[in-house]
Amino acid sequence: MATRFLTSILIGLLAATAFADETCQSPYMPKLSGQEDYVYVWTLGIDGVGDGSDKLVTVGANPARPDYGKVVATASVGGQHEAHHGGFTDDRRHLWVGGLDTSKIFIFDVAADPAKPKLVKTIEDFPEASGGVVGPHGYYALPGRMLIPSLSNAKDFGGKTALVEYSNDGNYIRTVWMPDDAPYGYDARVNATLNRLLTSSFTGHKNYMRKLPELMGDAEAMKNFGNTVVVWDYHARKPLQTLEIPGAPLEIRWALDPTHEYAFIEAALTGKLWGVFRKDDGTFEALEVADIGPPEAQPLLAVDISISANDKYLFVDTFMDGKVRVYDIENPRAPKQIYERKIGSQVNMVSQSWDGERIYFTSSLLANWDGTGGDDEQFLRAFTWNGKELSPTFDIDFRKEKLGRPHLMRFGQLGFWAAGNPAASSEVAQRP
Amino acid sequence: MALLVGIGMPFAPAAHESTGATSDAAPRFEAPPPGSYELPPIDRVHEHQLTGSDGAPAPLLGLARDEIALVSFVYLSCGEACPLATATLHRIDRELAGDPELAAHVTLVTVSFDPARDTPARMRELETSLAPKGRWRFLTSANRAALEPVLEDFGQDAVWIPGPETAEAPDRLRHVLKVFLVDAQRRVRNIYSTGLMDIRLVLNDVRTLLAEAEGNPS
Repeated sequence: MATRFLTSILIGLLAATAFADETCQSPYMPKLSGQEDYVYVWTLGIDGVGDGSDKLVTVGANPARPDYGKVVATASVGGQHEAHHGGFTDDRRHLWVGGLDTSKIFIFDVAADPAKPKLVKTIEDFPEASGGVVGPHGYYALPGRMLIPSLSNAKDFGGKTALVEYSNDGNYIRTVWMPDDAPYGYDARVNATLNRLLTSSFTGHKNYMRKLPELMGDAEAMKNFGNTVVVWDYHARKPLQTLEIPGAPLEIRWALDPTHEYAFIEAALTGKLWGVFRKDDGTFEALEVADIGPPEAQPLLAVDISISANDKYLFVDTFMDGKVRVYDIENPRAPKQIYERKIGSQVNMVSQSWDGERIYFTSSLLANWDGTGGDDEQFLRAFTWNGKELSPTFDIDFRKEKLGRPHLMRFGQLGFWAAGNPAASSEVAQRP
Repeated sequence: MALLVGIGMPFAPAAHESTGATSDAAPRFEAPPPGSYELPPIDRVHEHQLTGSDGAPAPLLGLARDEIALVSFVYLSCGEACPLATATLHRIDRELAGDPELAAHVTLVTVSFDPARDTPARMRELETSLAPKGRWRFLTSANRAALEPVLEDFGQDAVWIPGPETAEAPDRLRHVLKVFLVDAQRRVRNIYSTGLMDIRLVLNDVRTLLAEAEGNPS
């Protein structure tokens, strides 16, 4: 036994190819392989709709199961917090989700019973503990910790903000404020191979909690949107470079092939897709690589992107026209739009399975920004993708089901932590 | 088959994953110099009594005032990322052999998840084969129940997935591979995972902590 272990050590320095669920996950997490059984949807409450509370909704996602396309469970947290984003801990046992308005963070156990997530802890003092950070936005797993890129601050509720770290137990670790020349935040993604962290920039609480038409009519307020992406030494948490990307660069997606040293970012206000590329000297450059919708129709608010596991496709959602556009990104410096489809009167998030065959969309962006493009329909819509077109599979009306405004999606799998997991069985079968 | 797994065949190990990064590849970044960054405490762990490779009781950490530990949980029937953690500690051991002043402050600890199979004798076999040049302890425990508080303390997840209970296909363990950097006050100061286990970063972290300790003698 020790001999085989030693033999494995000799080849242990080579890495196995990772197979993951949603392609945007942190590189430090174990990944789902195969079919997801559930989609967890972090949902904003709406007054007069069901209990009106923010809630975590569990939806059946496996066509082989009787709960496919149905709401399996809901877990209300009480109150409306501007439910927005969330993420798993590195061991995938807990799902952290947060509110941009109250800055509360809710921690759900998703391991004990993946069909019925249970709220086990609430972080109530995020602004106080962090030294004045408001609007916890992203939840990105690091080993034993959670990295929380945030949006605002308690001093003036503007866009100056920070990266905050907590232990998996929910204890505060540290706050790293954004640099003076790039004070705004939004997303944070690590490329572990390059030891680089990218962060992007949005706007502060006094803008994102304001009604959108009113905000867009306020020229002074509209100046307070981010226009920078920062390149960091991840290990040292030190900013190295500030890249200018005007128009609120939002979601960052590194290419997944470890030899591909670039990331994509969409600029919401300009409707441009940008690539951030590593140069030979190790620094990075940002280049505008594609239009997202017709220039004369902007701002369409390009809000979320999803990269396929093989770095071949990029799905880009635009909120105002409710469309998804799919780009062939095999040449990352010259993406080509190959498909588009209207998903609904509005659309925000897009998540895809690792094999790229299943794509999910939700509708809500922010409580005060929804519904400005027409009907305020609220949905989770699922599709299959065959490389050429999307075909619908199931559709849940979140108003009709008395749930609220669906936002962030994450996948769960029955038996991931238990015997009978097909992936675990295949692991045993593959062993010598 | 372990070779196929090790060289990246399209197999999806559910519990052990990596991003394709290898610490043997040419580095694609300069490691930040020791002392140029902070390592804020993530957690504080306790001392635990386990069993050494000689069969005698042994402390998990056993740290003196100016010592640092790198703690890794593995099991010997693991053919995937556990060997990566042990290979990393092996390389660190060899690097430390060239820096006796640094080595005097560092202890490496390998703890088995699998006390039923990884007996003191088997841990001794592993130790003998690795031929450590510095301080490197190989620990196991009386049984899984005795190990549970240790795993809970470190936040090391571990779920046994029952197998057919044969020698050829025993139970498998679902866990996220982690190596813990622990200072003399038993505070966890960093955690390394299969995202990237670069020994330059690990050794610079060790030097950073030692410089911090010199600046703040307790």
